Amino acid sequence: MSDPTAARATSKAAAIEVAGVRKAFGQVTALDGVDLTVANGTLTALLGPNGAGKTTLVRIIATLARPDAGRVRVFGFDVATQARQVRARIGLTGQYAGLDDALSGHDNLMLIGRLAGLSRGQAASRAAELTAALGLADAVGRMVRTYSGGMRRRLDLAASLMHKPDLLVLDEPTTGLDPASRRQLWAILTELKAAGTTMLLTTQYLEEADRFADVVHVLHHGKIVASGTPGQLKSLAGGEGTSLDDAFLALTRTAGADTEAVA
Amino acid sequence: MTATAPMAPVRYQAPVRYRPARDSALIAGRNLRVLRKNPGRMIYPLVQPLVLLVMFVSVFGNLAVTGHAAGASGTYREFLIPGIIIENAALTAPTTGLALLRDASSGLADRFRSLPMARAAVLAGRLASDAIVFAVQAVLLLALATLLGFHVRDGLAGLAAITAVTVAFAVSVAVLSAWLALLINDQETAERVLFFPAIALAFVSSAFAPVADLAGWMQPAARVNPVTAAAAVIRSLASGGALAAPLLELGCWTAVLILIPGTLAARRWHAAR
Repeated sequence: MSDPTAARATSKAAAIEVAGVRKAFGQVTALDGVDLTVANGTLTALLGPNGAGKTTLVRIIATLARPDAGRVRVFGFDVATQARQVRARIGLTGQYAGLDDALSGHDNLMLIGRLAGLSRGQAASRAAELTAALGLADAVGRMVRTYSGGMRRRLDLAASLMHKPDLLVLDEPTTGLDPASRRQLWAILTELKAAGTTMLLTTQYLEEADRFADVVHVLHHGKIVASGTPGQLKSLAGGEGTSLDDAFLALTRTAGADTEAVA
Repeated sequence: MTATAPMAPVRYQAPVRYRPARDSALIAGRNLRVLRKNPGRMIYPLVQPLVLLVMFVSVFGNLAVTGHAAGASGTYREFLIPGIIIENAALTAPTTGLALLRDASSGLADRFRSLPMARAAVLAGRLASDAIVFAVQAVLLLALATLLGFHVRDGLAGLAAITAVTVAFAVSVAVLSAWLALLINDQETAERVLFFPAIALAFVSSAFAPVADLAGWMQPAARVNPVTAAAAVIRSLASGGALAAPLLELGCWTAVLILIPGTLAARRWHAAR
């Protein structure tokens, strides 16, 4: 089946455009006028302390939540009114693995691939490719409940890649993994980036953003308080010798002080 | 690991439109595969009802009764067995809500919601797979009941009709349980709460005794209880009694229970958080 809008979608220079997005849960403001752009083919990291609004923003981009105000476009499609077109082009690896523990790895990939629109043959072939590439070929017949944390993460990533998405959204993909598993996952993400997949990720590990991200956005109290390359953020916060950890702490402390001053 | 074909970005050709029937069938297939690969999960819907049937019939089946409670053969057993079949359907139906809530509470819900699939498929597929379980349960119960002396006047056609009625009733209660489970939105609470209405439905009805023989305060509720209508339909199908009135009543209940809680359950599942 052909999608007449595919050319339009993939020709956009911006993979994600977020403009004036606000979201509140009752009295708690999660996002307070967020603007950002993610360029095609880049790896963009969202940094912020717990409760900064990272996951809320990721959920809106992945069509899992609706903004109260503002607009989000993914490859030119509005996440609120053109959710199906957005979903066809994104893969999501959330904080919790989107897998059925009571099925084998193969069964999970087949189900997710077919629900994404692949034929049985396409799904089987894609599952074989991905499990081989992600080092899961020997385990794919086992129940997911027997997998280690690292294997679950890799299978979850494989599930996100079944329909060959243009944009991969990763919400803290390495949280809870041991160093070896984190390294393995980053090797895979680096390959994906080299192959041209656009990625948006949140992470608590600043050294990961420093090492792998093209662009970093720092989110604090629901607002973007700084954006730039890791090098630019370090310069902004203190110049040479400043780590991204230092820069992050300085930027969020400054933003917090500003907020308090305004209040 | 090296850069390989699987990592290459490929312009995915998105489905032109949602395919709810296909997606529902895929979800139903997944649910049945889970049962097949985890056979312990079949004990509650398929084994426990058989045990309950044997226990009930062994303890109460030979009671000497007269009047309403004496079936076509004049025994309480003939009256009791349809009630037990419907009671088991009512007690199994909450598993639909619990399974749906388990999916809704896991990372799998976000996975499904982020895919270009029909969102209604998760609920519809769950109901479709559970309808198959309800049908297998009814067939097993009827087979065992036949061995225990339950007689259906029209033979296989009658047994098929009883199975269909039981499944329709069970699906309608399952839809109600789906809505309640998503409303409760907490697995542990739902596990403790959902079976209570099923037990009340079964006992405040004519499942085990004619409405006229129940305590006075129970009788108004028992008369309008869908379990009473379903048991009456099965008794009529088995013995050849009046069918139209209980069938109409059951049809109305089934439609109401599927449409209203079904719409509410779908809305809760669809709601973007």
